[in-house]
Amino acid sequence: MKWYLKSLGPKKIIEFVALIIFVIFFMGPLLNLAILAFTGNWNYPDMLPREWSLKWWKFVFQQEGVSQSIALSFLIATIVTAVSIVLCVPAAYAFARIRFPLSKFFLFSFLLTHAFPKMGLYVSIAVLFYKLGLMNTLLGVILIHIINVLMYMTWIPTSAFRNVHTAQEESARDVGASPFRVFRSITLPMAMPGIIVASIFTFLNSLDEAQGTFLVGVPNFRTMPVVMYGIISDYPAYAGAVFSIILTAPTIILLLAAQRFVSADVLSSGFQIK
Amino acid sequence: MSKQARRGLLGISLVLPSFLILVLIVVLPILGSLKESLTNHSGGYDLSNYKYLFTDKLMRSNIIFTLEVTIASTLLVLVISYVLAVYMRFNQGMAVNWIRRMYMIPIFIPSVIATYGLIQLLGNRGWAARILYHFGSESFPRIIFDMKGIIIANLWFNIPFTTMLLGSALSAVPNSVIESAKDVGAGKLRIFFKLILPLTFKTLLVASTFVFMGVIGSFTAPFLIGPNAPQMLGVSMEQIFGVFQDRQLAAATAFFTFLMCSFVGYFYIRSMIKEEGMRSS
Repeated sequence: MKWYLKSLGPKKIIEFVALIIFVIFFMGPLLNLAILAFTGNWNYPDMLPREWSLKWWKFVFQQEGVSQSIALSFLIATIVTAVSIVLCVPAAYAFARIRFPLSKFFLFSFLLTHAFPKMGLYVSIAVLFYKLGLMNTLLGVILIHIINVLMYMTWIPTSAFRNVHTAQEESARDVGASPFRVFRSITLPMAMPGIIVASIFTFLNSLDEAQGTFLVGVPNFRTMPVVMYGIISDYPAYAGAVFSIILTAPTIILLLAAQRFVSADVLSSGFQIK
Repeated sequence: MSKQARRGLLGISLVLPSFLILVLIVVLPILGSLKESLTNHSGGYDLSNYKYLFTDKLMRSNIIFTLEVTIASTLLVLVISYVLAVYMRFNQGMAVNWIRRMYMIPIFIPSVIATYGLIQLLGNRGWAARILYHFGSESFPRIIFDMKGIIIANLWFNIPFTTMLLGSALSAVPNSVIESAKDVGAGKLRIFFKLILPLTFKTLLVASTFVFMGVIGSFTAPFLIGPNAPQMLGVSMEQIFGVFQDRQLAAATAFFTFLMCSFVGYFYIRSMIKEEGMRSS
């Protein structure tokens, strides 16, 4: 063992230790939940459970409202994604291609969604929604979910549109294509990866939103994360772990499906103007 | 109407729908909470809620606790992420490949789930304690329901995100620039301080802004992991509103946090506008 370590050299050993720490720190909590979800019983201080079982899966699916909450979450996330595409992509195109007064002011105003503490914002929104009669309505829940995503949904496509070279658009215009045709067959397809990443981010964000939904949507709109809060406090850890996996599964599936679009560069453009 | 004016009008009309939504669900509530925070208990307007915020012993210790957690988390996140990102940029090998494959996963894990996983792992009878028990350690440090737990959760949420931002900025530093610096005999440290750090400084500012804003107003992690007292301001805000029904004080707390974020956001926006100015000229 010792000669083997020596032959590797100190750099390799440090790298290996760093990798181990990284894996334990970031994957440990998730792996722990995955084990807990298939555990029948796990006594202290056993390192691994002695009894494996699927009984907690049955238990969770028998709970009232769990399957409805899954359907509801997906419905809301789909609507939120569609609405924010319609709202934000045209704005992103304007920021990238059109010069108009106050454009910087409008562009940076979306930072406000991240600067005010969410809890404080939700409390004020609840007051406003009471006055407007939006409490406990689908529209209210959708509006709350849109807060979190307005910024990425505008900034990521803005940078995607900016990365399309104007020379290409101009040469299409030169051969007689109409402005709309240029947009549809050149600008939009080239900016599509950015728009797709922003939409995935929006969909996942809406699927995960808990605090705002809890304040504005309960009791009529119990989404998955809202149910999760209840399960954490009321049931044993095994049930919570099962539900965690159910809640994380769509995230993993969607990310694997869109792997070739999701890159550090595109995601980073959601947080800065590049 | 001139062509330019027509284009301008088109630009504004494309931006207006999303901006109006922003006004409805963000700007109006912020103004509402400002007004609320200035309302005193007899219905008049003064600064009494803010005065309470800074003179009440419990609130003061909450503010100090929040600042401590926020600053410690931000600094730790920046240092660790920067080292990780620089290492990943300039090294190849198995470990780097594995980290590159995994590091973005936590960005997409719901925060409730991650926090729950951390509680199960690091609680005093959690998996970590069980494993250490077999290595002969009887006692396990108190991490959950303590400041350490909140900071660890913040590291979990923010290191992947910050590494991603910095990694994207570092990949934009061309290899040829570094090669030519090496050719003229610049040492590793010199290359770092004269080239890499200045070229990525702006992204460092972006990252610190978002980490700071994310941590100072956070709720889920401190609510599930934090101690009962002192509390992070996000949790205390919820308690003031939900348990004590004191909307004015909750609004003042929110607005105070917002002012802290605005201070950090100011530098961020200034640096971004400089960039924008260079683009359009």
